[in-house]
Amino acid sequence: MNSLYVYLFVALFLFCVGLWGVLHRRSLIAMLISVELMLNAASINFLAFNRFLSPDPAVGQIAVLFIMGTAAAEAAIGLSIILALFRRYQSVEIGKARELKG
Amino acid sequence: MVEGLSFELLMAIVVSMSGLVTFGLIMVFTLRSINASVTVGVVGSVLSWLAGLYLFIHYWPAREAIVFQVNWLVATNIQVPFGFYFDSLSLLMLMIVVTISTLIQIYSIGYMAGDPGKSRYYAFLCLFAWSMINLVIAPAMIQLYIFWELVGLSSYLLIGFYFEKYSASEAGKKAFVMTRAGDIGFFIGLVLLFLAAGHLAVDVFSSGEKIAALLPNLKPLFPMKPETLLTISAILIFSGAVGKSAQFPLLTWLPDAMEGPTPVSALLHSATMVAAGVYLVSRIFPFYEASHTAMLVMLCIGTVTMLLSSTMAMVARDIKQVWAYSTVSQLGFMMMGLGAGAYFAGVFHLTTHAFFKALLFLCAGVFIHHFDTNDFFDMSKGGARKMLIPMIAVTIGVCALSGLPPFSGFFSKEAVMGALAAKHWVWLAAGLLGAAMTAYYSFRVIFVMWFPKGGAAGHVHAHGHVGHADAKEAQEDHGAHKGGAVWITEWCMLAVLIVLSAITLVLGFFEGDIEAFIAGAKEAATAAHGVVAEGGHGIGHTTVLVLALSCALAGVILAWFEYGARRATQAGFLSRLKPVERLFANRWYMDHFYRKLLDYVVYGGFTNTFTRNDRVVIDGGIDGFSNLTIGLGRVFSRVQSGLLQRNLYVTFFLLALMGLYFFLV
Amino acid sequence: MPPLSEIIRPLPELIKPAWVAEGAFFFIVGVTMAGAVIAVFLRRIIYNVLGLAVCLMGVAGIFIYLNSEFLALMEILVYIGAITITIVFAVMLSDPMYREMPERSIVKVGVSGLVSLILFLSLSKLITGTPWTAAAERESDWTLLRVGKLLLTRFDLVFELISLVLIVAILGAIIIAGQGRRQRSSQ
Repeated sequence: MNSLYVYLFVALFLFCVGLWGVLHRRSLIAMLISVELMLNAASINFLAFNRFLSPDPAVGQIAVLFIMGTAAAEAAIGLSIILALFRRYQSVEIGKARELKG
Repeated sequence: MVEGLSFELLMAIVVSMSGLVTFGLIMVFTLRSINASVTVGVVGSVLSWLAGLYLFIHYWPAREAIVFQVNWLVATNIQVPFGFYFDSLSLLMLMIVVTISTLIQIYSIGYMAGDPGKSRYYAFLCLFAWSMINLVIAPAMIQLYIFWELVGLSSYLLIGFYFEKYSASEAGKKAFVMTRAGDIGFFIGLVLLFLAAGHLAVDVFSSGEKIAALLPNLKPLFPMKPETLLTISAILIFSGAVGKSAQFPLLTWLPDAMEGPTPVSALLHSATMVAAGVYLVSRIFPFYEASHTAMLVMLCIGTVTMLLSSTMAMVARDIKQVWAYSTVSQLGFMMMGLGAGAYFAGVFHLTTHAFFKALLFLCAGVFIHHFDTNDFFDMSKGGARKMLIPMIAVTIGVCALSGLPPFSGFFSKEAVMGALAAKHWVWLAAGLLGAAMTAYYSFRVIFVMWFPKGGAAGHVHAHGHVGHADAKEAQEDHGAHKGGAVWITEWCMLAVLIVLSAITLVLGFFEGDIEAFIAGAKEAATAAHGVVAEGGHGIGHTTVLVLALSCALAGVILAWFEYGARRATQAGFLSRLKPVERLFANRWYMDHFYRKLLDYVVYGGFTNTFTRNDRVVIDGGIDGFSNLTIGLGRVFSRVQSGLLQRNLYVTFFLLALMGLYFFLV
Repeated sequence: MPPLSEIIRPLPELIKPAWVAEGAFFFIVGVTMAGAVIAVFLRRIIYNVLGLAVCLMGVAGIFIYLNSEFLALMEILVYIGAITITIVFAVMLSDPMYREMPERSIVKVGVSGLVSLILFLSLSKLITGTPWTAAAERESDWTLLRVGKLLLTRFDLVFELISLVLIVAILGAIIIAGQGRRQRSSQ
């Protein structure tokens, strides 16, 4: 609990699990969930460095605050896109939206 | 070189440029107004005649060549001058050209009356006059070659004058292409000489000593003796004369060139343009003399041409065709004279031939204008003998052509025969045979026209215009030709006929003066004029004289028995030898041979290859290239699957691989 | 047999406070990791959403261990309270529950797992290999009071910008999601 490495490893684990989800889930919402996981991993990373290494730890907290705000915005837009896609293809499977196929 | 603007220079410029100026004036300003164009054209040619006359008179006592030139193209060791070179030969030729050109322009007022394209006709006549005059007075071969080509261009424009007629435009094309084929050889010869000598001024070739001095300085392109270079370029330059003067391989364009209006045939294709080839050879005569092979080649080709075309003339029914074949034959005769070494004989025959051939063509023109047909059998049936002045003129011309005394043709033919006799009896025999055939075919025309057999009753008077594109115009001109206008146009033509007949009658007696004129300035000429001494026919060659006269008379008598006598059938002895007659009528199948050559070698071979190359290699190459691009694009576009996840896959896979770096470091 | 009170009395001495703290910490880490795996691995979408919620709870706990209580609470408020609920809404609006469970290909799962594994190993090597050095001078005051003061003075612009970003996101979401409704209502 007082070692930087634990937190870094937790963040890394979360990130890789999120990546795994993005790469293999077929549902768009599941991909979005995985992306949220990756964002959180980044937040943990930030705060870990903030706690152990940063010269002004207050600033790191502000940064994480903004990460959270951005994640919220992104989730909102992403979900509305998913809804629009659902109306178009009647399904949220990613294999359905491939009109840009070359 | 004369400095400043002396009067001679002014006259020289007038002579040389008047044709161009009138051509420009007509084409730009007066195309729509026929009378204005005619005025401009006639005034221009009269002006150039006066200027030429002045120069001729000015030169007479001096005997030194008048040269005006500027260096036009200059490089390290070459220089190409541009300007005027007046010596006896060029002045003589100049007088021939301007005189006949002026007479033809006056004649055309009458002949081309009512033709809507008359302005264009006069413009082209002026263009031709300009080119021919500058060809004659060129100081360097390059300028001569430029104007040589321009003369060919004017010939094309004038032959194809009635361009709505398919045969006329085809004839123009044929003339241009055939003369061009000869000009290729000419140009190659010129270039060879130019590269070796560094310049091509005409006066270098004016004497034998100068040529001998030039020989060691020649730097030929390929390793060869200077004499060989001389021979090769002489033969190549001669090929230009072969093309332009319608000698043996390239002679079929001249009969077809009769599609043009008759004054054009008189001017270009009898007197001046086709004489340009002969003029070329005589201009650089010492150059040819230095090479015996070239002279022999000239002699052979001249002989073959003369005999061949005489046979073709014997079966022709179209009066212009007869005179056309006759022109070819006489040109061959001139070449024989020059090839035998008789410089003066060839030039003199050129002079007399110009006048009497122009006379013959213009008479034919009057008949054609009157009867609207080219066939002289029909003309005679229509009552040609009633038109006295043209009939007398044509008889005078034919007597001159056959070489009967005292007409001018007799003197010039004598000179050439004398030279041929001096060379070898074979050539003399050929010349005599040619003289007999000439007499036969020319008197055939005369006797048919004087003594029509069958259908002479009734005077068919068809007053039409040959080659009219618009019948309605013909009707209008029919009306306009009543009254005073008819008198003027008829008299234009007849006055010219009278002038030319007079010249034909008297020119022969000036043989001595002309010979002195030409021999005076050129040293080589005195040694080369054959056996004609001053003022008379060959001393000790009365045999030649008698032989020539008897051959001519034999031809006349044969023609009389076949065409002129009361019980004559007007069929000719050749009509009994049908295959021979067909051979002659088809021009010895030369045209057929050329057609086959074109079809198989040019179209079948070259055109085919180039078309195939264009389609398969060039187009195929480019198409293949673009197909390759499209194909590659198709292959690469498979990467775009449209699946977001697959793209992420690839991205992170590569990122992970990059991360392996940390393992290895 | 000793009475129950005798057995229970020495127990509090056995439980060292240090072990409790460590144990709690690793419990929270485990919860986080488990929640993440549930969020990604299970097939039913609603399980994934619940797993996400659990994971984010764990993350909030980790934030507390990192001395950022404010952020932990913000995490719960924003992520679990808002984002997760929105995801549930989206699931309800788009995914029919009565369908059978979506299938998945083992190959895809395997290969993507391999990719993540490679990334994990590489980055862990990176983490352990770098000598992390703390800054020389560290500010000691990092309470919420100071954070708030900084937010409204030094980081004022960033604050405004994030508000702008949020407004744009709201408008964008309304427009995109509203287009279909407008189309259907105009038919």
